[in-house]
Amino acid sequence: MRMDELERAIMELPLEEPPEGLRASILLATAHRPAPAFSFYELAGIGTLGAIALWLIVVLVSGGGALFVHTLAAIGSVVLRSFSNVAFVSWLATGAAAALWLTLLTGTQPLAALSHRSDRQGRR
Amino acid sequence: MSALLAEAPRVRVRTEPEDGDLVALTLRGNTEAFATLVERYDRAVYHLAYRTLHDVEEARDATQEAFFKAFRSLRTFRPGSKFSTWIFAITYHACCDRLSRRKHYASEELPDRADATPGPEARVIALDEASRLRSAIDALPEKYRTVVTLFHLQGKQYEEIATVLGLPMGTVKTHLFRAKEQLRRLLSGMEVTES
Repeated sequence: MRMDELERAIMELPLEEPPEGLRASILLATAHRPAPAFSFYELAGIGTLGAIALWLIVVLVSGGGALFVHTLAAIGSVVLRSFSNVAFVSWLATGAAAALWLTLLTGTQPLAALSHRSDRQGRR
Repeated sequence: MSALLAEAPRVRVRTEPEDGDLVALTLRGNTEAFATLVERYDRAVYHLAYRTLHDVEEARDATQEAFFKAFRSLRTFRPGSKFSTWIFAITYHACCDRLSRRKHYASEELPDRADATPGPEARVIALDEASRLRSAIDALPEKYRTVVTLFHLQGKQYEEIATVLGLPMGTVKTHLFRAKEQLRRLLSGMEVTES
């Protein structure tokens, strides 16, 4: 066999047949990898909240939380009083409705963006 | 007019995106572009892995590993270089890692492993030409076999082969020349045995 014939024969060799499902498994590990349930910032937020909650529990359990409990009770009573006031609730509802209406008008639609995102995650 | 129409397919612009464009699209968040790259190269990558490792399962794992590493380190891909060379280099290194692990666990001399295979000539007598050539390639020492496999995949692009293997181009040419010499001897020996 001449050298050029041998080279041609090598070039013409068929490629090995990959096992079934190889491409699918590669794609699943790379391009079609499911999106994580939470983004990095969401995870960081959840982690921070969790850490604060844990710290509060430790403070309360260790007995140093009397002032904290007192402050929390004061805040709670203020909130309760506010929400039992009809005028306050009406103004709050008016403000929320106006904000929603304005975001729909200006095109920056956080609610629409949220629903689009959940659709995308659902499809994946 | 009819002559013009007849010419049309020949002058049609190729619309398939280049590998480099697909990499850029992937980096911009279009993961489907990477899927196209997988479709283009999975067979060649598997071929290289299988011809190097000679084990279906290990070749499968090495192929997956190569694409996964490529996907994760796509930012390190230099624009202007060839994606095929890059993915082949990743695959080759993944295979080398597996071979050295195999060597570590089995304490066997890997470069001689192929040579030690009992009588490839005897196995190939009844096979067709392609199978005979493949068996002859299998009988080559490891370093020659890999060069021949890359020559099969990349053609006479010696510089690309040298990049994949991390060897000087002169060494690649020497290995390829010696590999072809051995193949010729082996194949002519088989022909004599057959006749």
